Amino acid sequence: MIRLIRVLPVLALLPFAPAALAQDVSAAEGLLKKSGCTKCHSVSAKKEGPSFKETAAKYKGKPGGEAALAKHLTTNPKVKVDGKEELHDSLKTKSDADLKNVIQYILSR
Amino acid sequence: MIRAWWQGLQERCKTCSRVTLGLGILVAGFAVSGVLLAAGAAGLAWTNTEGFCIGCHEMRDNVYAEFKDSIHDKNRSGVRAVCSDCHVPREPVPMLQRKVRATFELWGHLIGAVDTKEKFEKHRYELAKRVWARMKQTDSHECRNCHHADAMDPDKQSDKAKARHAKGKAEGKTCIDCHFGIAHKEPDGPGPQELKF
Repeated sequence: MIRLIRVLPVLALLPFAPAALAQDVSAAEGLLKKSGCTKCHSVSAKKEGPSFKETAAKYKGKPGGEAALAKHLTTNPKVKVDGKEELHDSLKTKSDADLKNVIQYILSR
Repeated sequence: MIRAWWQGLQERCKTCSRVTLGLGILVAGFAVSGVLLAAGAAGLAWTNTEGFCIGCHEMRDNVYAEFKDSIHDKNRSGVRAVCSDCHVPREPVPMLQRKVRATFELWGHLIGAVDTKEKFEKHRYELAKRVWARMKQTDSHECRNCHHADAMDPDKQSDKAKARHAKGKAEGKTCIDCHFGIAHKEPDGPGPQELKF
C-alpha cells in the first residue's frame, strides 16, 4: 500500500511526461548555429564532420551515449579532420538544460 | 495597314511635311519606348523587393520566417541580403530568364502546391535541391556578388576556416557545397556535395 502511495504521484505525471521531456527544436538549432556547429556538421548531409544522423546512430540508446556526447560538446576534445588534429569547439552555453536539449536534438535525428 | 495609317496622319495634318511627320513619329516612338522600358524596369525592381517576395503566405510563413534573425537578416554590421540577393541574378539576361522561370511558381500558388506547412515540408527537399543545383551550376554566383574570394583576408579568418577554404578551392568546391542551410532550415537528405548534376 505504502509502495503504491509512493508510485501514485509518478503515475499521475506520466501523461505529461512527453511534454516535460519535449525538446525545444528551434532553441537547439539556434544554439548549434550560434556555436558554429553547422559549419562542419549538418543534419543529414555531408560536411567535414559527421552528420547529426550519423552521431545519433552511433550514440542513441547506447549506455553512456549521452554522457559521451556531453563530454564531446563541452571539453574541446581533439578531433581529426583530413588527417590533421584540431580542437573541437564547445557549445556556446553554460546551461545544462541547453546542453541536454542539444543532445536530445542530435540523438533524435 | 501601315500605309493607310500614314495617309490618315497626312490627312489630319495637312500642313505637316513628310519629314516633320516622320520625326514626330520617331520622337513619340522613343518617348513611348522609354516609358515602357522604365515601367518594365520598375516592375522588375519591384518583384525583387522583400515585400513582393513575402506577398504570398507560402513564402512569408515558411522560408521567410526561417530567414528572420539569420545572419543574412540581422548581423553586427546591418548589411542585409534579402530574397532576391541570393535567388535572383543581377545581370539583365539571367535575371529575365529567372523571372520567366519564376512565373511557373504562380501556377504552384494557384493550385496550392505548398499552401500548408505539411505540403511545404513535403516539398522542402525538392525545392532546396533546385536552388542548390542552380548555385552549383553558376559557381554560387549570387553568393559571390557580395562575398568576393579575392577580397577575403585569410589572416582575418580562423585557422579552421582558412584550412576549409583552401581545401574547398583545391577540390573545386563552390560556396553552396558547404554553406547551405544558412538562411533556411536544412532539408533532410543528401546535401549539395553529394548531388551530381
